[in-house]
Amino acid sequence: MSRSAFWLATACGLVIAGIVHIATVLAIPRFSEGDAFTRARASETLDHPLRIHGLAGGPPAAGGEWLPNPDPSVSVGVCSYDLDDGPMRVSAQAGSLMLSVSMHSRRGAFYAVTDQAAVRGGLDLVVMTRAQYDEALANDVAGEVTRDVRIIAPSRRGFATVRVIAALPSERAVADAAVQAVSCTIDSPAEPTDEEPGRGKG
Amino acid sequence: MALSSGIGPVAARSAREESSSRLRRLARGAATRSSRVGLFVYALTLGGLLGLASADYATSGGYPFGGTSIGSWTAWPRAGSLDSDPYARAVNARRGDIPLAVGEGMLLTAASDDEGRTLDARCSYRLAGVTPPARAWTITVTGRGALPPGQEPVRTGFTSTEILRETDGRFAILLSPEVQPGNWLPMPRPSGPVRLALRLYDTPVAASVGSLDRDSLPAIERTGCGS
Repeated sequence: MSRSAFWLATACGLVIAGIVHIATVLAIPRFSEGDAFTRARASETLDHPLRIHGLAGGPPAAGGEWLPNPDPSVSVGVCSYDLDDGPMRVSAQAGSLMLSVSMHSRRGAFYAVTDQAAVRGGLDLVVMTRAQYDEALANDVAGEVTRDVRIIAPSRRGFATVRVIAALPSERAVADAAVQAVSCTIDSPAEPTDEEPGRGKG
Repeated sequence: MALSSGIGPVAARSAREESSSRLRRLARGAATRSSRVGLFVYALTLGGLLGLASADYATSGGYPFGGTSIGSWTAWPRAGSLDSDPYARAVNARRGDIPLAVGEGMLLTAASDDEGRTLDARCSYRLAGVTPPARAWTITVTGRGALPPGQEPVRTGFTSTEILRETDGRFAILLSPEVQPGNWLPMPRPSGPVRLALRLYDTPVAASVGSLDRDSLPAIERTGCGS
């Protein structure tokens, strides 16, 4: 076996290694089963956030408590959505504690807002597809002011994250309760159709 | 062989030579072919193993790059956004992490003190100074690996509300294995490297990390080292 053939094979091996490396890194998020997107889907049937990092102790929710390095003073909940079922509405009441809501698709966060953006003490975010957004615009009554924040999602499925900061240890139970008090519901279409009887809230 | 014996010994010998040389040629061809197959298998194995091992190495643990280092701190403003790099995305997917979005806050980490020495759980440190503008912040210390149950430290972090401040608004956190007066943050492990995480919530600097400099972040100064 000639030496040059060996070096050629090694060079080919290194090129293959580079290709395999890039393909693997790109494929990990797509095929991962332990990522937040996959695990958040346990919350799809709930109409309030699934608590994934509680502060007050107590038994963790089923499928929760997976965050690798959570902030010990922030209570975190997730709501998964599938826009095929209809736009998802996240409603939060601004309380005494700082609250933030962020919207994530599988590729990353695409929107985030804190309770400072609340209108009259309430925060209403509606995640929708482009078609649902156009429909909502068409159904808007002229002259009526809506306080909904309408967000167009880059993909059909994703999840919302609710974070409430307990600045003092005595506020931990309040922070957990504030996460639970947020509602994540599926908006029924403006004119209810027969396919989705009695689903979601207006 | 009946035929060859009929022709004569000379022809039989030449036939034998011819068949043996054909055998030799065949063997040489097989050797080249097998060495070619061997090289092919070698290249594929080398590529596959190296590629998978390097991908695993790059995506296990922390983000390999994409941070902005400011003194001993590293800011990660884009770790969770849509335009994060593929490595950060893979790291998040493997850990199941939900990073802070730009509008929510920003994470800063530190693994070494201001003189570049790795933060060691047997040493004492003084974190002093100011933080960038933010509605709230928390500072936490973590060690590597899981702790045995029942040995959780009494405190793993401070929030901006909890902390005791000087009259001018500055603060000092004492990170030490020994009990300290003031803002004492106990070491989470008896030994080994530790990491600090500063999370700024609802902060304007997440959108402009370039505006941060060393003086706008707490200094990390080593004050002593136990044996």
